[in-house]
Amino acid sequence: MKKMLYVLLVLVLGSTMLFAGGAEEKKAEVVDPNAPITLTVWCWDPMFNIYAMEEAAKIYKDIKPNVTINVVETPWNDLQQKLITSLSANATENLPDIILMQDNAIQKNVMTYPEAYVPLNGKIDLSQFAQFKVDVGTIDGNHYGVPFDNGATGTFLRRDIVEKAGLKVSDFNDITWERFIELGKIVKQKTGVSMISTVANEPDFPMLMLQSAGTWMFNEDGSAYIKDNPVLKEALRITKEMVESGVCLLVPDWNAYIATLNNGTVASTINGCWISGSIQAEESQKGLWAVANTPRFANISSSVNYSSQGGSGWMVMANSKYPDVAIDFLAKTFGGSVALYETILPTSGAIATWLPAAESPVYATPIEFFGGQKIYEDLVGFAGKVPNVKYGVFNYEARDAIARALSEVMQGTDIDAALGTAQKNVEFLMSE
Amino acid sequence: MAKSNLTRKINLYGWLFVIPAALFIFILNFYPMISAFLLSLQSGRGNNLKFAGLKNYARLFEDEMFLTSVGNVVTYLVIQVPIMLLFALVLATMLNDPKLKGRGIFRTMIFLPCATSLVSSAMIFKSLFSIDGIMNTALVGIGMLSEPISWLTHPVWAKFVIILTITWRWTGYNTVFYLAGLQNINRNVYEAARIDGASASRQFFSITIPLLKPVILLTTIMSTNGTLQLFDEVRTLTNGGPGIATLSISQYIYNLSFMYNPQFGYAAAVSYAILVMVAVLSFVQIKVGGKR
Repeated sequence: MKKMLYVLLVLVLGSTMLFAGGAEEKKAEVVDPNAPITLTVWCWDPMFNIYAMEEAAKIYKDIKPNVTINVVETPWNDLQQKLITSLSANATENLPDIILMQDNAIQKNVMTYPEAYVPLNGKIDLSQFAQFKVDVGTIDGNHYGVPFDNGATGTFLRRDIVEKAGLKVSDFNDITWERFIELGKIVKQKTGVSMISTVANEPDFPMLMLQSAGTWMFNEDGSAYIKDNPVLKEALRITKEMVESGVCLLVPDWNAYIATLNNGTVASTINGCWISGSIQAEESQKGLWAVANTPRFANISSSVNYSSQGGSGWMVMANSKYPDVAIDFLAKTFGGSVALYETILPTSGAIATWLPAAESPVYATPIEFFGGQKIYEDLVGFAGKVPNVKYGVFNYEARDAIARALSEVMQGTDIDAALGTAQKNVEFLMSE
Repeated sequence: MAKSNLTRKINLYGWLFVIPAALFIFILNFYPMISAFLLSLQSGRGNNLKFAGLKNYARLFEDEMFLTSVGNVVTYLVIQVPIMLLFALVLATMLNDPKLKGRGIFRTMIFLPCATSLVSSAMIFKSLFSIDGIMNTALVGIGMLSEPISWLTHPVWAKFVIILTITWRWTGYNTVFYLAGLQNINRNVYEAARIDGASASRQFFSITIPLLKPVILLTTIMSTNGTLQLFDEVRTLTNGGPGIATLSISQYIYNLSFMYNPQFGYAAAVSYAILVMVAVLSFVQIKVGGKR
């Protein structure tokens, strides 16, 4: 019988260990304005947004020495997954105080979990930011995002290769996609170098083409606008033509894409201006690059030579213990410090969407890497002319469907049929 | 009287020892399964879920992407599992030969792929089959190809690379099961067969395969189960592309939960669809192959 008791004892002890925890009492917060505060931030790029955040932390340290910023490197895909997992399990204590969010995911995340984010209405002067960036982070009249980097696109060109083909950099300004293909053929013929490269499975070109025409994949009422969307049809047609004519080289993934830029496999790339950081990483190509604006559609009248790709904004999480400190931090750094932007621009190419920063003389400095072109001044100019679109809640669903349509069109499927399937699949995912 | 008391006491101890394990299995296995089933009966986005009955299960049949992913996985299954198991069987028979020198080294080498992580093996295959990878260089070099193939962006070749990767990774694992099975077969049986004049292939088909039947059944069920839940390799190699030509069911569940607006209810229904498929296929395999 004694043995029985021991066994029971072990069981009881074991189960208490299993169910232990959770019984700790919460201590009342002591309000002391100078008590040390740590704000945790999730963002993903050590050369870019992590660097910018650390510089911002240094600036805020001078204003409020008791606030420490703890940056945790979290790749975007992981960040999105952690966010959804924690929010759906109501385990928000694992979440940071501030996150960086891709522009095209803000709507989806805020509409699915509206209580998870702090509206910044009136606490940060958003009128000082580029309007299209503010709109991206505005949902039902509430402002959630502090715009960070600019996604304005440009054509980043290898000056030397283009000139070897008998062309000038200025030949690429204010042109149409048709003209771009013609020029690409000349470059390929004269130098043997492909004009441009893109990741095979990604619809990056169609997306930036859509925005250049002020169109997106949804109607005003939010319903999918993919089938019979003339801009989308034209975008797929041109992308296919670029690949088939040999002007555009398809690569399997992002690393291979960056490699084509850095090892001289291609003469140009068209992407958000944040790509300049990766271009400048290859120091041996110093002086060989230049920037022109983005091609437009020849037969779509709303199309302009400006578009946007990527870009992100800071958001304050509702689970933060110090939301006011977090907002104040953002207001005095990313939303109020010219010095911050002056520091981060030359080293990281983080082009501000905070307009007062663009008046800083740093932006007008000729950049040696780009052969003395004042590229930041040019890019800020492009940013001001980017057509405004609403990415919508179902952006990732639609983007994936277009990626698939594009790959089917490349394999020979009719464009209308591919877009019809895409429309059907997006509608399926939008239904419940 | 005394005896039945003892039996009862032993039974009681037995139960006491079983309870902790049973408790853990219930909490860690059955409870999530039950709550996933309850989740699959709800529809909505994020945490705004409401009861919807079997609607999610009805939706499965209208979902072209789900059906494509099932088609992809069935393709992997039908091609890859028989090839892999045959390879494993042949390798195991060869390794079981008592006259073979350096058996230990061969066994280690054949099992070694299983010790690598799924993601790193997929990464290695990805670089082998990249445009400027060793495969293209070699095949162009010996003149089998006139120009490099973009393996991972072509709907058919991408499937081929995925099948190759899984086969490389899992053949050694199954070989170990067969080796263990073979060692349970009495050598005398083979000796008697040899004396009767049976050839090596006759011995393989008439002795090895029938006597290994239970092990073959086990490995078939395990491989079927594993392939239906395929995730890491596809996600690393192609991310489901080009388009959704290589998408696996598990990756579709991932997309529904984390890439798109989260539809956890529907995602749970898709995972229960995998469960049903595994159950049905295993049942068929046991019925067909399990007769003793």
